[in-house]
Amino acid sequence: MLNLMKLEMKKNKFGWYFKGVVIANFFILLFMCLIPYVESIDEGPMFSGVTDALSVVGTFVRVTFVIFASVLYAKLIIDEYKSNTISVLFTYPIQRKKIILAKILLITGMTFIVIVGSNVFVSGAFIMFNHYINLFPNDLSNKWLLPALVNIVVQSIAATGMSLICIYFGMRKKSVPTTIVSSLLIISLVNSNNGNFSISNIIAIPLTLAVIGVGIAYFTFRNIDRVDIV
Amino acid sequence: MSIILSTSHLSKTFQGKDVVTDVSMRVSQGQIYGFLGPNGAGKTTIMKMLLNLVKPTSGDIEIFGEPIKQSSIEYLKRIGSIIEYPVFYDKLTALENLELHCAYMGFYNKKAIKEALELVHLTNVDHKAVREFSLGMKQRLGIARAIITKPELLILDEPINGLDPVGMKDMRNIFGMLSKEYGMTLLISSHLLGEVEMIADTIGIIKSGRLIQEIPMDTIKGQNTDYVELKTPDYKKATFILENKLHITNFKVMDNSVIRIYETSIAQSDISKMLIMNDIAIESINKKTASLEEYFLTQIEEVENYA
Repeated sequence: MLNLMKLEMKKNKFGWYFKGVVIANFFILLFMCLIPYVESIDEGPMFSGVTDALSVVGTFVRVTFVIFASVLYAKLIIDEYKSNTISVLFTYPIQRKKIILAKILLITGMTFIVIVGSNVFVSGAFIMFNHYINLFPNDLSNKWLLPALVNIVVQSIAATGMSLICIYFGMRKKSVPTTIVSSLLIISLVNSNNGNFSISNIIAIPLTLAVIGVGIAYFTFRNIDRVDIV
Repeated sequence: MSIILSTSHLSKTFQGKDVVTDVSMRVSQGQIYGFLGPNGAGKTTIMKMLLNLVKPTSGDIEIFGEPIKQSSIEYLKRIGSIIEYPVFYDKLTALENLELHCAYMGFYNKKAIKEALELVHLTNVDHKAVREFSLGMKQRLGIARAIITKPELLILDEPINGLDPVGMKDMRNIFGMLSKEYGMTLLISSHLLGEVEMIADTIGIIKSGRLIQEIPMDTIKGQNTDYVELKTPDYKKATFILENKLHITNFKVMDNSVIRIYETSIAQSDISKMLIMNDIAIESINKKTASLEEYFLTQIEEVENYA
């Protein structure tokens, strides 16, 4: 399996992805620093405290990288069907399920690591900047740190699982735009902020969606060994 | 010669439409088997079923003496293939594509890549992205990819499509060499009859999803294929002479000036001598061999008339 994942990396050369991750991280950070300025014109400070600030960082990071994940699914799975390279891939003496599973594991692994990493990077940098620009009250105790880290990991698992849902729509139409748009719709629905309330804050909801995502991926590829490649 | 590939009553239905019906074919080891048929006859579908890309609706396939099931994959190690047209990861170079292929096939011999590229006369392009290749170059690269692991069986769907005449000749030589020197068995589909005629040992003619005939080339060559073609403005008198003076009955008037004489026991010179002595003008007289094309068309027509 590791070998198959390595081959996928060799095939796809992820330089563009990691460049995108770095650029997105800087933009999220920039955006975080700008929101309070824009918002403070109308009403008081945007963030009540560090936990509040981190929750917004988390939302931005998850939305961004779940969409990135959908681009990866489109490129690694849907594109193989569209360009018909799948008919070469499936004439190798390897089970189809294994080939697809290697792709999914690679993408989910990358997505999870990138979401956790970006969360840590953007949050850290934002808290550091806050010492100088005072966008929210500094909390020098470390009490918030552990729950925040746990929250990041749990939310990242949920987001990674949720990213799988788009495969179902993408595979039905074998379409790259469908894959990306469906992912955009799902993630914006879950993370949309309505008067400081977002359904992603009730952690059971994103986790349930993540389980649904895994189920959908299984359902989509359950019969892959029996399907005709025409 | 042992049978390396056989199908029995193989059929495939796509959404209620019969694409392949009751095909039973046998390919012997070391042979070049030419798969002939018009476009849309079902050649590609059969080849896809052999590679397990498409699952048969009914019937059986046996390759290397083992029945092929839905989950069979091991036998694919021993097969090289091109289906429809050669597809590659376009952004990668020729070399990277071939390295990937070898890795997926579980074949690790760095030298083999170079040898395969040389064999198909694709040199100095290994670092060029495949998307910059012409169709002919892709076709060569596809063949290089198929033969790199020295498989026992090659399944090539229209491998000479998109090649120029020089390329076609190259490929003919390569196929011949693979069969003779490496003992590979080749199953080649094509609609270019002339090409298949030159290389195939056996041909299978397929029309509307049915295998109409499977016949060794030697048999076709031996089947009444030589004839004398006579062109004369006075065909009525000529046929009279042929029948009454030369006692030839085995001839056919093609149109009002061309007569084909299938009787080979009488020399061409005797025929022309007799005609001239009887004052019949001869525009031309030639000995001809019916090509596979004619054989093929006759077979196809017969099926159409029958249907």
